[in-house]
Amino acid sequence: MELFLVFLSAVLVNNFVLVRFLGICPFMGVSKQVETSLGMGLATTFVMVVASTVSWLIQHFILEPFGLPYLQYVAFILVIASMVQLVEMFLHKTSPTLYRSMGIFLPLITTNCAILGMALILVMRAFTFSQSLIFGIGAGVGFTLALVLLAGIREELEFADVPAPLRGAGIAFIIAGLLSLAFSGFSGLVS
Amino acid sequence: MDRLIKDFLRGLWDENPVFRLLIGLCPTLAVTTSAVNGVAMGLATSFVLVCSSTIVSLLKKIIPGKVRIPSFIIIIATFVTIVDLSMNALLPDLHRVLGLFIPLIVVNCLVLGRSEAYASKMPVSWSIIDALGMGIGFTWALMLLGAIRELFGTGHVFGYLVLGDWFTPWQIMTLPPGAFITLGLLVGLINMITIYVHKLVRQQHKATN
Amino acid sequence: MRESVRMIVVLTLIAMISAGVLSSVYNFTNEIIQTNLASELESSIFTVLPQAVSVRTIHPGVSTLVEDDRSTLQETEGTVSIPVFEALDQAGMPIGYAFVSEHTGYNGTIKVLVGVETATETITAVKVLEHLETPGLGSRIESASFLHQFVGKSATDPLTLNRDIDNISGATVSAQAVVDAVRNGFPLAIKRYKEER
Repeated sequence: MELFLVFLSAVLVNNFVLVRFLGICPFMGVSKQVETSLGMGLATTFVMVVASTVSWLIQHFILEPFGLPYLQYVAFILVIASMVQLVEMFLHKTSPTLYRSMGIFLPLITTNCAILGMALILVMRAFTFSQSLIFGIGAGVGFTLALVLLAGIREELEFADVPAPLRGAGIAFIIAGLLSLAFSGFSGLVS
Repeated sequence: MDRLIKDFLRGLWDENPVFRLLIGLCPTLAVTTSAVNGVAMGLATSFVLVCSSTIVSLLKKIIPGKVRIPSFIIIIATFVTIVDLSMNALLPDLHRVLGLFIPLIVVNCLVLGRSEAYASKMPVSWSIIDALGMGIGFTWALMLLGAIRELFGTGHVFGYLVLGDWFTPWQIMTLPPGAFITLGLLVGLINMITIYVHKLVRQQHKATN
Repeated sequence: MRESVRMIVVLTLIAMISAGVLSSVYNFTNEIIQTNLASELESSIFTVLPQAVSVRTIHPGVSTLVEDDRSTLQETEGTVSIPVFEALDQAGMPIGYAFVSEHTGYNGTIKVLVGVETATETITAVKVLEHLETPGLGSRIESASFLHQFVGKSATDPLTLNRDIDNISGATVSAQAVVDAVRNGFPLAIKRYKEER
């Protein structure tokens, strides 16, 4: 039950993109089509799940026992970068179709601050190993949900008469604001 | 020299990271609940940007191409940790407000982007100028956004009361939806000004010809 | 081959230099950070117990007040020990004590400092030391009108939100967290204070 709350809170109440402002760059950059945004979301979720468990292990078996808290940022970001590299190589070898659909997003994921943010939050909140894993999944699902929602609306906007200066990024931000407003209705769902 | 000035000014408007390039958006939205926070975040990011651009530019011949990204990331993460620790020691109040978003400078696409696209190819002095321009551009964008949100969200700017008692603060401005909507409108406004100025310049061009 | 050796050497060198620089910066700043935290805590104790002239540490808590301690706090839950400080007046006589307690709020841990008068065993003041709540909503747990409601309460008072303590509209989770932090910490602090004296 508690694990379910961790999941629900990461997906809806404290949605990574719309409430915590993490991963905004890909949220704006890759949300023009539902299909690509779904691919990006899934690839990010995958890396998040791996990164959440690995960074938990690093924090509890390397950084804390050896008293190296100041190497946390360097260690985490290196782990994320190498995880992304590994995932890319693994996909390339095993599933060329999946690689072709996800491949272009993978290098972008390293600089997605949602992943480093997630790693830092799970240390800050002192999650256990299983909580971290669920939190990683929830964060990824929440990211995918926000991305696909925005992409769905932006696809429809193609046919709308938007004032010239607001076309593109401007209107996307305003829609994101409305989505965020809708998500704030979830606050209080988990207490 | 002319090009140096041009490269410096580019970051302020034409290639403003926030309004034009749309990068480095996470801290832009998250910490701009007040003007002071925006400036602090902008300056912290600028510091990391200038330092890492300098080092990357100095080491560009030594670092092999294949491990360039991991090397840049280590350099950036080192400077971010230095900022984080010094801010915690010297400005603990500000450090508490900016919280999670100081470590996230590591993954600010602006910093890695300038290292990769500019500093790893250009001489040191040019890289510093470029980083300064981008840093200042980032800082003023955050300050503007922070000031607007603070003004309508609390009636204050930089902590000074601007709107009197008659004004009921719009709570929404300090909450996440307000951040998105304000930035969206600002991007639109900046686009509008740019379009107008370009038209003006073109007309003048025609007139002088 | 030479290329890959060079790759490894350069990357290792950069990582080593980075670790070296960071460890020296850490050693240098850590001292200042610890002193800052300690002096900040001390001045907070003076605000919750205004008559106090000096402060004595009764119990430092699980260990020193560093942020990373949260993990250990969590793991040893059930036998949590909270930091307790004794406040002394001009003559060096104890007039009260203060304890630090925490509870998870909406966005993260909320840390509160509670001052207790020894004579009446009631709360003199509550101060929020640390929180990550939403500005404008949850952050209203810092307001004087909310925190003032705890003054005069004793450890046996039920402290129920909405009945003894007025809620903050739109910030129930944050308000409940403060109430829980005070209510859970109070008996522990009394026990610790009596034991250690």
